[in-house]
Amino acid sequence: MELRRLVAATAGLTVTVALAACSGGDRPARPAAAPGSAAASTTAAPATPKPGERPDCAQPEVFCVGVVTDVGKVDDKSFNESTWRGVQRAQKELGAHAQYIETTDPKDYAKNIATFADEHYDAVVTVGFALGEATRAAAKQFPDVRMIAVDQFQAPGQEIPNVTALIFPEDQAGYLVGALAAMVSKAGKIGAVLATDAIPPVWRFGEGFRAGVVATNPKAELNIIYHNDVGVDRTFTDPEWGKTTAHSMIDKGVDVIFGGGGKTGNGALLGAAEKDVPAIGVDTDQYFTVPEARKVLLSSAMKRLDDGVFDLLKASKDGSIKSGNVLGKAGYAPFHDMEAKVAPDVKAKMDALAKSLEDGTVKTGVAPVKPNP
Amino acid sequence: MTALLRPLLVPVLAVFTALVVGAGVIAAAGASPWDAYTGLFQGAFGSARALSETAVWATPYIFAGLAVSLAFHAGLFNIGAEGQIAVGALTAALFGYGLPRWFGSDLPALVHLPMTLLAGVMGGGLWGALPGWLKARTGAHEVINTIMLNYIAINMVSFLLNGALKDPEPGNVIARTPLIAASAELPTLLERYRVHWGFVLALVLAAGVAFLLRRTTLGFELRAVGSNPDAAAAGGIPVVRTTVIAMALSGGLAGLAGAVEVTALNHRHELGFSAGYGFDAIAVALLGRTHPVGVVLSGLLLGAMRNGATRMQFLTQIPVDVISVIQALILLFVAADVIVRKLYRLRTPGERVALTRGWGA
Repeated sequence: MELRRLVAATAGLTVTVALAACSGGDRPARPAAAPGSAAASTTAAPATPKPGERPDCAQPEVFCVGVVTDVGKVDDKSFNESTWRGVQRAQKELGAHAQYIETTDPKDYAKNIATFADEHYDAVVTVGFALGEATRAAAKQFPDVRMIAVDQFQAPGQEIPNVTALIFPEDQAGYLVGALAAMVSKAGKIGAVLATDAIPPVWRFGEGFRAGVVATNPKAELNIIYHNDVGVDRTFTDPEWGKTTAHSMIDKGVDVIFGGGGKTGNGALLGAAEKDVPAIGVDTDQYFTVPEARKVLLSSAMKRLDDGVFDLLKASKDGSIKSGNVLGKAGYAPFHDMEAKVAPDVKAKMDALAKSLEDGTVKTGVAPVKPNP
Repeated sequence: MTALLRPLLVPVLAVFTALVVGAGVIAAAGASPWDAYTGLFQGAFGSARALSETAVWATPYIFAGLAVSLAFHAGLFNIGAEGQIAVGALTAALFGYGLPRWFGSDLPALVHLPMTLLAGVMGGGLWGALPGWLKARTGAHEVINTIMLNYIAINMVSFLLNGALKDPEPGNVIARTPLIAASAELPTLLERYRVHWGFVLALVLAAGVAFLLRRTTLGFELRAVGSNPDAAAAGGIPVVRTTVIAMALSGGLAGLAGAVEVTALNHRHELGFSAGYGFDAIAVALLGRTHPVGVVLSGLLLGAMRNGATRMQFLTQIPVDVISVIQALILLFVAADVIVRKLYRLRTPGERVALTRGWGA
């Protein structure tokens, strides 16, 4: 009997371990507002889809959009969620019917895309670099379905007619917040704490930031540190390094910190928050992803995923969409709690700069990839 | 007939009970349980592709479930399948892309593929034999050691995938090996579907394990050591050797699960693939009552649930985590079968299966 109990207890323990391993620990609670309401408004009744009630996506007048997330949830407060927001806008403004599938295992990428394609969805949005191969394979298998490939750069000469990749000018986003940092810094000492420059987007954020700082205040003292001393699996997941690096910069008089690169960058934001020094985030509006740093978060260098996805869906619906790579927009996040601390003329200059970058009158001068030394 | 069906009673009732409780969870999540289960069923069995994908999902579950079951029969609780899968997948990937380079020429598939699979078996087998040897020689409990070796395996694989074995293709930022050579790829059974010969191999090995346990001297020794090591030793069975062999075979089967995923599906090893098969395998083994046929059935069931989850979410938009909840409930009801027996007023059988032994046994 005792043995039996031991087995039961051990098995229970194992389940707990397995579940904890699957769920990834610190995922924030599913907010009722974002995807919940979305699910409820997807169509009148996606929650109770009886045969016949679901829209017939094969009809030309019905525009159906499917989203396949990377391993992770649709409310991850990051790429998946921003993409889904863009799709939700297409629901409202284009009358699109939209659904998402959350991927649990990379081997399901192809199956999840095919689930939409089999139902004659008009467009399938695949989120993230990791889905690149599966998206290209599915595009060849389903030539009638428009694949919108977020952050999946298509190599020149290898474009597929029904694949449109949405990529982003990270250098412009970095340039914007670099200019902001240079204008806000009183000491003229600015720091950037970033993950590895071996990853092109991170490098472009960093170099764009440098260009923005130098163009705005050539005399500024700029210190950019990449976490290059560890492997790729660690460089994005080392908040402790991010925090201590930010601390040591601040101790040397730096008064604005730019933190970028997953949890490592978030650690830098937290380090700045502990020392009450203005901080700038990356990728999405980090006011929502790192609430602990809200009081010091000046802005974030943003990839406008939601706008980019919406624009491509609109173009897909009216048939004007192009294949290959489409450059989305860069931006900077609202100032939120720091609103009062940013001078009105700085705000005006930032508005003007964002416009000039978008229309091309200001260029960052950053190459697409880091040149080999 | 009833004698054949009786062992199925508790697992079937456990699954049923878990589905009923799971329906409550789905309703609480704001969806209709009927629609969710309809979607689950359609996604798992509703079309040729669904059936094919269910077999694809079931394949690693059957291999790893057999691995855990085999160890159970020798009185060992192998929680290390996860690590053994990772090591097996890595060694298979290494041989898959590395062998032609070392030989400096292409190899015929007839040679290359078996060697690649064997590399996976050896990798997983050695990783499993280690805690077996520690248990037999020093009495260190295999539950603790296999759990610890999971961490070592997964971090070691991560280190290698980020370093020495990383795909050197320019622009690659993912921790993964290069693609294996075409001669190391395990072919699919049918065109246009992903179901592959690994599934057939899993069924053959299930029969093989059944044969080993029931019809061979080694199988008898394994079961003798499993039920009472002291009596086995007194009867002249080398307990140390048998324990090590049991864990090596168990690890080898788990390693094969990883090797088949690499050669048949992904054609490379990538960080983050296979997360959780080794832990799910414990559920598969327990639900299958550690019998090879039971393992095949429960592997198919859990594979069907994982596969059908996609369509379930497509139809109802409830999170796929519900599947993990149901799976955990099944395991709970199987392991604590007293609950099921009380619930359905079943008689308690006289014979009990001892799945593991305590410290220092």
